[in-house]
Amino acid sequence: MIEIRNLVKNYGRVTALDDVSFDVNKGSILGFLGPNGAGKSTAMNIITGYMAPTSGDITVNGIDAVEKSLEARKMIGYLPELPPLYGEMTVTEYLNFICDLKGVPQRKRKNMLSDIMFIVNIVDVRNRLVRNLSKGYRQRVGFAQALVGEPPILILDEPTVGLDPGQVIEFRKIITTLGREKTIILSTHILQEVTAVCSDVVIINHGKVARAGALSEFTASVPGEKRYVLTFDTSDKGAAENILRSSSWIKSYSFSRTERNSLIYRISADSRSEGIRELFFAAAQAGIALLEIKAVEKSLEEEFVSIITKDAQEGA
Amino acid sequence: MEAVFKRELQSYFKSPVAYCIIAFFGVLTGLYFWNINLYNQSIEFTMTLGSLTTFLIFFIPVITMKLFSEDRKNGTEVLLRTAPIPTWKIVLGKYLASVVVFTCMCVETMVCPIIMTFYINDGGVFPLAMTVGGYVAFFLLGLAYLSVGAFASSVTDSQPIAAVLGVIILIGITFIETIGQTVKGVFGQILVWLSLSSRYDDFSSGVFNVSSLIYYLSFTAVVLFITITNIERKRWS
Repeated sequence: MIEIRNLVKNYGRVTALDDVSFDVNKGSILGFLGPNGAGKSTAMNIITGYMAPTSGDITVNGIDAVEKSLEARKMIGYLPELPPLYGEMTVTEYLNFICDLKGVPQRKRKNMLSDIMFIVNIVDVRNRLVRNLSKGYRQRVGFAQALVGEPPILILDEPTVGLDPGQVIEFRKIITTLGREKTIILSTHILQEVTAVCSDVVIINHGKVARAGALSEFTASVPGEKRYVLTFDTSDKGAAENILRSSSWIKSYSFSRTERNSLIYRISADSRSEGIRELFFAAAQAGIALLEIKAVEKSLEEEFVSIITKDAQEGA
Repeated sequence: MEAVFKRELQSYFKSPVAYCIIAFFGVLTGLYFWNINLYNQSIEFTMTLGSLTTFLIFFIPVITMKLFSEDRKNGTEVLLRTAPIPTWKIVLGKYLASVVVFTCMCVETMVCPIIMTFYINDGGVFPLAMTVGGYVAFFLLGLAYLSVGAFASSVTDSQPIAAVLGVIILIGITFIETIGQTVKGVFGQILVWLSLSSRYDDFSSGVFNVSSLIYYLSFTAVVLFITITNIERKRWS
């Protein structure tokens, strides 16, 4: 749906985007991740036609978004970081203005607007002035604006920043629902959000794509390796570590913490499941009970942090 | 374009700014009308209009100051420039909205010449052609000034700075004629030819000069084109 190839953007001598390439598949919700100042907003501004790239190509639904920017814009609904609202208009006036701007025919408007207002839940504030609305409602009106004209692509720049927890959950639900029929790029630095709603992830750092792929690739462990958290019913570290060392199944272990006379270790082991059985009996033989064996999945957070810190170290 | 025009016009008349400008300009017109046409018993309303052109230098940048700077300040620029409409339509829509406000200012001053027609006696004749010519000149000059104000607004995200910048450019433009008169030779003649004010007198003396009409309109078009380019340029910078 969106293909981005070798995108470069320089602001004077500063390089904001450096050879960025990635694809957004039709019907996917792409989490666009990166620390502040990584180039997320710049990339979004270029895709939406607000800025032109220094070099590189963007194709939106088969249309060259640089050469035929106006046509490409029709495909895209954009919610910038700061919702672009006119305070002196009522919500209905504002959305009608957006319809004018996007060229929505008069006969379609009534149904479209009432649908949109229902989706983002602003029906009860429709006659109020935008400037009198709370932050959460403003964000919703901004969201409604992006939905006008039924664009097949939505680009949302940090849509849940500054919302209360209830609203965040509601927004995520809306995004998930919309994601069933639309292609969405969701920029955020909240990792839970990505895990909660996205199907694909692109991590961008210092203007470059650090990693891109399906969310499952990020959370899956290294092939042939599994990770567990073990709890031993003892306070004797030497004894516990003897057991860990004796098992050929365990590749590496690290002490995590002590909790009420029991020791907690993190281990990584190969994927043979009979390994657990061996470990269990080895512990039993040593007279130490294994209270808990918990498999852990690698988290997106770990991946994200490792990419960011690795880059920082390389940079230093 | 209609969308931008409509919204801009609504925003003018939803805030007190447009009403204040129009009302204040009406008061000034009244004062000059009283002084020139009533107290000094002149039949030429064009003299009053001519005096008012000086005030346009200050009024017009206040009308146009918000056109682009406001959008830049409150983030709505993104909305307009990611909407499927070309930049020239945005600029033209906004410009035309400011033209409507200026037209209201022109229309309210028409009360004065209308009053004059009632009180002409002793076989006097109201100089209709001259007055109409005066209004054409006044309006054309206003169009040119509005384009300058629009340009000033596209340069900054601060409305006060846009207004001050507009006033400074317009003062500079009015001095072109004076400078041209002092400079000897072809260069001086070119400056006089280029100045907006030297062409103003043609109309207000009742002469309908097509070349001046074209000059005013081209001046406006060129400045609007520069404004469009200035906004487009940001896309590439």
